[in-house]
Amino acid sequence: METNDNVLLRVEDLCQYFKMGPGRELKAVDNVSFDIKKGEVFGLVGESGCGKTTTGRSIIKLYDITSGNVYFKGQRICAGTRCYTDANRALRAEFKAERAKLNEQCKKEIEEGGDEQSVKAKYADLIAQASQKCSEQVAANNKLKAAAIHDHKRCDKDYAAKRVAALTEEMNAKLAETDDEAQKEKIAREYKEKLRIAKRERIVNSIQMIFQDPIGSLDPRMTVRDIIAEGLVIKGIRDKNYINDRVYELLERVGLVREHAGRYPHEFSGGQRQRIGIARSVIMEPELIIADEPVSALDVSIQAQVINLLNELRNNLGISVLFIAHDLSVVKYFSDRIGVMYFGKMVELASSDELFAHPLHPYTKSLLSAIPLPDPEYEKNRKRIVYNPIAEHDYSVDQPTMREISPEHFILCNDAEFEKYKAELNG
Amino acid sequence: MEKETKLSVKNLKISFRTDGGKVQAVRNISFDLAKGETLAIVGESGSGKSVTSRAILGILANNAIKDGGEILYDGQDLMKISEEQFCKIRGDKIAMIFQDPLSSLNPIMRVGKQMTEAMLIKGKTNQKNCRNDFNGMLACLNKNMDETRGADDPAVKAQDKEFCDKFDKFECKHLELENAFVAAKENAVEALSEIDDVLFHIEKNVTDKLRGEIKDIIKLAAKTSDTYVVCAREQELTALLEELKLLLKESPVKKVRDFVVPIFRRGAEIKDDTDYAAVAVTLGKIKEILTEAVNFDEPNFFYMGYYLTFAGQELPQLPIKEMNAELRKYLDDNFMLEFIRLAKDGIRYSNARSVEDKKAAVKKIDDSRSVFQSEEYDRKQINETVKALVKCVEAAIDRLETVKDNVAYTFGSSLRSAVDLYFDSVKRNIKEEKRFAKQTAAYDKKAASGKTPDWKVADKNLVDLQAVKDGIVALLDRIKGKYEQDIQNSALIDFDARTVGMIDYLKEKASGVAHKVTRGMAKAHALKLMDEVGIPEPRKRFRQYPFEFSGGMRQRIVIAIALSADPDILICDEPTTALDVTIQSQILELINKVKEERQLSVIFITHDLGVVANMADRVAVMYAGKIVEIGTATDIFYAPAHPYTWALLSSMPDLDTKEKLEAIPGTPPNMIYPPKGDAFAERNKYAMQIDFEEQPPMFRISDTHYAATWLLHPNAPKIDLPQAIKSRIERMKKAHGMDGVASDETAAVNVADEATDAPADAQAEEAVKATKAKKPAAKKTAAKKTAAKSETAKKPSAAKSAKAKSEGETKTRATAKSAKVEKDADGTASVAKDAKSGAKKSSAKSGTKSAAKSSANSGAKKASSAKMTDTTAGGEDGN
Repeated sequence: METNDNVLLRVEDLCQYFKMGPGRELKAVDNVSFDIKKGEVFGLVGESGCGKTTTGRSIIKLYDITSGNVYFKGQRICAGTRCYTDANRALRAEFKAERAKLNEQCKKEIEEGGDEQSVKAKYADLIAQASQKCSEQVAANNKLKAAAIHDHKRCDKDYAAKRVAALTEEMNAKLAETDDEAQKEKIAREYKEKLRIAKRERIVNSIQMIFQDPIGSLDPRMTVRDIIAEGLVIKGIRDKNYINDRVYELLERVGLVREHAGRYPHEFSGGQRQRIGIARSVIMEPELIIADEPVSALDVSIQAQVINLLNELRNNLGISVLFIAHDLSVVKYFSDRIGVMYFGKMVELASSDELFAHPLHPYTKSLLSAIPLPDPEYEKNRKRIVYNPIAEHDYSVDQPTMREISPEHFILCNDAEFEKYKAELNG
Repeated sequence: MEKETKLSVKNLKISFRTDGGKVQAVRNISFDLAKGETLAIVGESGSGKSVTSRAILGILANNAIKDGGEILYDGQDLMKISEEQFCKIRGDKIAMIFQDPLSSLNPIMRVGKQMTEAMLIKGKTNQKNCRNDFNGMLACLNKNMDETRGADDPAVKAQDKEFCDKFDKFECKHLELENAFVAAKENAVEALSEIDDVLFHIEKNVTDKLRGEIKDIIKLAAKTSDTYVVCAREQELTALLEELKLLLKESPVKKVRDFVVPIFRRGAEIKDDTDYAAVAVTLGKIKEILTEAVNFDEPNFFYMGYYLTFAGQELPQLPIKEMNAELRKYLDDNFMLEFIRLAKDGIRYSNARSVEDKKAAVKKIDDSRSVFQSEEYDRKQINETVKALVKCVEAAIDRLETVKDNVAYTFGSSLRSAVDLYFDSVKRNIKEEKRFAKQTAAYDKKAASGKTPDWKVADKNLVDLQAVKDGIVALLDRIKGKYEQDIQNSALIDFDARTVGMIDYLKEKASGVAHKVTRGMAKAHALKLMDEVGIPEPRKRFRQYPFEFSGGMRQRIVIAIALSADPDILICDEPTTALDVTIQSQILELINKVKEERQLSVIFITHDLGVVANMADRVAVMYAGKIVEIGTATDIFYAPAHPYTWALLSSMPDLDTKEKLEAIPGTPPNMIYPPKGDAFAERNKYAMQIDFEEQPPMFRISDTHYAATWLLHPNAPKIDLPQAIKSRIERMKKAHGMDGVASDETAAVNVADEATDAPADAQAEEAVKATKAKKPAAKKTAAKKTAAKSETAKKPSAAKSAKAKSEGETKTRATAKSAKVEKDADGTASVAKDAKSGAKKSSAKSGTKSAAKSSANSGAKKASSAKMTDTTAGGEDGN
């Protein structure tokens, strides 16, 4: 696929279904596509149960996605197979239908008095052709499917191999430069350590997650130092001093002090615990942080502290953030672009100012009308718009798709609605 | 009196025993809750919001110590009643929505059972209570009626008794009829709304779940026939329902395995051949009948009840309106007018007697006051006095008043517990002294032997006996004041209104007796509530266990349970924090709706200021166990006065916020060692020296708005609101087309206003006197760290003397300003008050007054800004 340098994460037609008993499935996320640029904060809003969190967790590979692709830094890290199996099934069904039709025709021609053998041979030929065509297509699909499975399962290994190859090349180049044996040995020793770490490197480590519940997400039996350093230890770093230095640096960056490293999580307040969670994810030097409702369990004043901290990290370290929340005023304040989800589908996607200035999809309007603001006069007159998908849309003929209605403003609609929204936007 | 006070909390103090010491969670808070009012309590976690609400409900943790205070509700002091009595109040009268839905649902009970459980239990007890109340009140009325007319005559007695019995009897009949009617009508209304829903779905061709709904309609519609609803067309309706049933029967639903569309691998597709066009036609007909039935004139069952019980003949065949008039005439002629006359006499008599008793009680209180003021209490004498006093006071209560007087009803228990506390503390204080002496001796011994003990001697935990005595005297004063007021007002009582009130009260209680909650009714009510709180498919969900629900859904169940008990007061402890905006606003709307329908009083605890703005009539901001600011929602959001409120408001982004959020630095204070001065001083960038030394009293800003901050003191430097809030308030005001009262101007007016009131406020005056000596030096700096304290204490004075010489001009201006404020305080109160209205219609008001005022204002502003620069300069010096 063509990669835009600016795009860090690209999600294509992501589907995540869950089994709900025999023969039933819950479509938690259904055909969601978006991308996150470097250094950008992408907000994901919607009511509870609409699949925001599932989207985040699917991206970080906590679930095996059902269908679709996720590309991170141009490399495919998640891939689902459902679309290929479905396509195969459709092809086979088509083939069966065609075979039945041909057999019918064959019988008919024989009854009408055709030469039995020649007719049969002719139709056998036709069926063989159809079968050939079908199996070719199926084989192509299977190849794609195999590639998808490979990417999904082995993307980390591929990435590690790539890194190892790059490092080896670098080392060889350096070795070739010097003739001194001692120098060579030194270089080899230096690179040995690097290679060891590179071998276990995983691309997904560049995506880190901050969890909603600051109390539940920290192990009560580990000290803060252990919690923050755990990622580094798993990564294979053995240098105690280096780890300690990093932990102290991070603690100070998130507004705690060195002395806190030896304490246990229960000794901290909610806001401080959330800071520990943030420090834990930032220590891995991620390029993307998935923040799953990081502030909704916190007090107002602490919320402000955590948001300020995230803002600082983003400005200083250039980290991109996928910000999942249901508090729309916070999302508006923090995000550059916002995607609105409704029952597993992305219904509208635009820059935050644009979305709040010109909400088009009825669900977005309903969502915006529900935001409480600290203004009694406004609150008294606020009318909540109720969204009823059955009343709003008529998708019996024309299925909706994601369309760009104005630059960088996407909306889920069909042809008739597209015209309607367009008129609304311009008029 | 504008509104009836439902609940009043007075001087509540609660602390918790912990390993580390005594944590003072709530420190002396008072507030009132009026009927039909929402009071929001805002504050950080740990500020004592939840503890307050839990104290009201009597569910404090075991290690809680009730240090004092009163919670008055319905003639009872909730701090002193027993667990058995609390059981009757909890859930029934006062219900609570808890913060954590996980721990407030029983994991091994189906939600349906949990929802109906309270309703069923409560239905029974409520019936019993209502019967007791009704009988008691009627008996009391009967007695008073007898006494009015001379109790000795048996004929009179018999007549009175007959009247009361008659009332009792036909009231029951009336309710029987009315309940049947209301139930039928409710069914009809519900069926109508469901029919609309189904017709809409048929029109849109979405027929997935329609069959269930149609069956519901059939059930509901069958229950709509009462003697007075649909009676005319009952047969027609039955026929239509049969037709509908047949339509559904003809085409049974089949499950077919369907692999045609493999993308939607749904396994079993439901095949439904029902002829929905025909269904729609039938439903339309049913709808017509039901609409007619709902709009049917309502007969007056009160009159009808009497007629049916005592006339001994069939109802006259007349149109409803004429029939109502006819029956009313019959009732009035035969019974009602006479009964009202007698009841009125009885009430008047009872009141007159109560006034006499009250006079006696007041005298008695005056007599016994000296006993309670004596230096040392004599147990026997005190007990006797208390007994006599309580008897006297309680005898003076007019039992025929329908609104119970909290002060009089709780007097006995309060006095007794205060006296008990005194005698207990006398003993305990001695013990405590002994313990302290013993432990200190042990400590000193160990210390003297050269070791440092690894423990400390806990402080003496003594009860201030003088304070207890003062409390007792205050109790006496309160009841005396109350009774004196009653005696004064007794001439003004409108006995007609009272009689009507009494009959309404009896009717209400009787309806409580007749209202029987059956299992079916409870289930129907629960399903309706589940639907209202936004749980889809309530019928299915009704039979599920809590673990099958998501967090938000569980929270909704908890809310539905709280509402199902139909309480008097609803306490919501962060009910919507875990929910998303759509559901949140849905639930807030529901609570608001219920509140309006039932005149519910709500205490709403939250930290989301947006929600507060939506819900609250009044807002109390709590910090470190104290109320720091209280006022109407408009006061708090448009003219906040306390720095903590400013900090809360500016730490929350709204849709237009772009700049960095101003988080509150630091953490709340440790309440084992509560700070001496203002608790917020440590984190307050506007803190003055005095904030560290003395607790600010509640300054009055307007009739509804109070705040506890030294910044409101007339001698304090004037500080503008933080820029973020100021611009936001201006923006909000502009958006609503409110008059351009710039916020700083309002603040100026407020300060001036406050200055006028301050001398009147004895407490404030005292505080001013007490702190006057410190003020000149203390006012100057904003000291933040206790370490810098001593330094700053010296420096400002030096700075001041230097300034006195060099910046003479500024100083004169500053003094001019304070003089101006003082002047306002003395004489020109009217100007200050006018300024509010004057600012609103400033163009219209061209009088010299406003002109003078504005010039004075601007002068004051200049002076204060000059002073502010001084202050900051001094602060920098200090640091």
